[in-house]
Amino acid sequence: MDGFCNGRAHHLPAVKWIFWAVLLCVSGLAFAHQPVMDMAPRWEGGFGIQARVEGFDSRTTTWLEGVYTFRPSTRITFKLPYVDNELGNVIVGVPLKKYTNRHAFTSNWSITPSVQFPTADDGAWDVGLSVAYSAETPSFYQLYDLYAWDDRVGLDINLGIHPIHNNTTNSGVFVMWDVSLLASGDGDRVQSGPVFMFYWQNVMARLEYKALVYERDSDWTGGYVGFGIGAVF
Amino acid sequence: MVLRNRVFALALMFITTSVLAQDYVVTVHGIVCSFCAQGVIKKVSKLPFVDRSMYTNGVKVEIEDQKVIVAVRDDSVIDRLSLFAAIESGGYDPIDLWTVSATGELTTYPR
Repeated sequence: MDGFCNGRAHHLPAVKWIFWAVLLCVSGLAFAHQPVMDMAPRWEGGFGIQARVEGFDSRTTTWLEGVYTFRPSTRITFKLPYVDNELGNVIVGVPLKKYTNRHAFTSNWSITPSVQFPTADDGAWDVGLSVAYSAETPSFYQLYDLYAWDDRVGLDINLGIHPIHNNTTNSGVFVMWDVSLLASGDGDRVQSGPVFMFYWQNVMARLEYKALVYERDSDWTGGYVGFGIGAVF
Repeated sequence: MVLRNRVFALALMFITTSVLAQDYVVTVHGIVCSFCAQGVIKKVSKLPFVDRSMYTNGVKVEIEDQKVIVAVRDDSVIDRLSLFAAIESGGYDPIDLWTVSATGELTTYPR
């Protein structure tokens, strides 16, 4: 139990106050499902921040995202999009996780209710829900994330391996394949492509490309490119 | 004479290091990714008996074998309860605690 959970917020170090100040101050083009550092931080009192840039269909979106872990089963996240030189609607989610740890294996089920706050000029309130399962061994990672958000329903699948790892420097690489399916009022689509995740101590970076392999009832074109970098503490 | 003293000093240094450096090993279920396990290092390294001059702040995670190696200060005694609580707080399940002999053999630490 840490900080705000038991009313001992005044014991939080200054850096956590800064994190919470950012969260409170920066509170619809976003998706509810995308994990903010699904792998970490899973420790009590852990927090992280990351920035992501993604390009798709002639539009570039920059995300500022943060996460705070009260305990392994309870986190809070925020996602702030910046689209076409304007701030978008901030999304706050509460991932609730149930972990199972076995020898050489860990997995978790996650339910994440999310609320979108109307912080954009033409913003609106909205809610979303995600149900996810991820499992991991020293050499294999998988994530399935089913989500509903406004008029969107989607499924994200990440399957990957952990081919490089150094215990001494705590660094390594994950190589994954992503499949994203979306049904929405703007059309339906399937995107797929490789994901590379690099980590070194408490810093991680993610680079991905997804080709638009199927679309219906939309005018989407081209592939998706994403790059993010973040740190956990 | 000088050579003999140097040899003796080196031998003494080696023996002292072997005896004083005490590692403990905790087998931990679920610890398969060191990026995800930083919380364990963070929590365990804060314990007063941990020798932070070793490894990464006194802790090394070996994900292939699900082991957490903890270096304990030569003037301290390991506290099993607080060690296990720190690992749980880091998000994982500690199972067993082992001492490491000078030859690297593991012996179960008495409960």
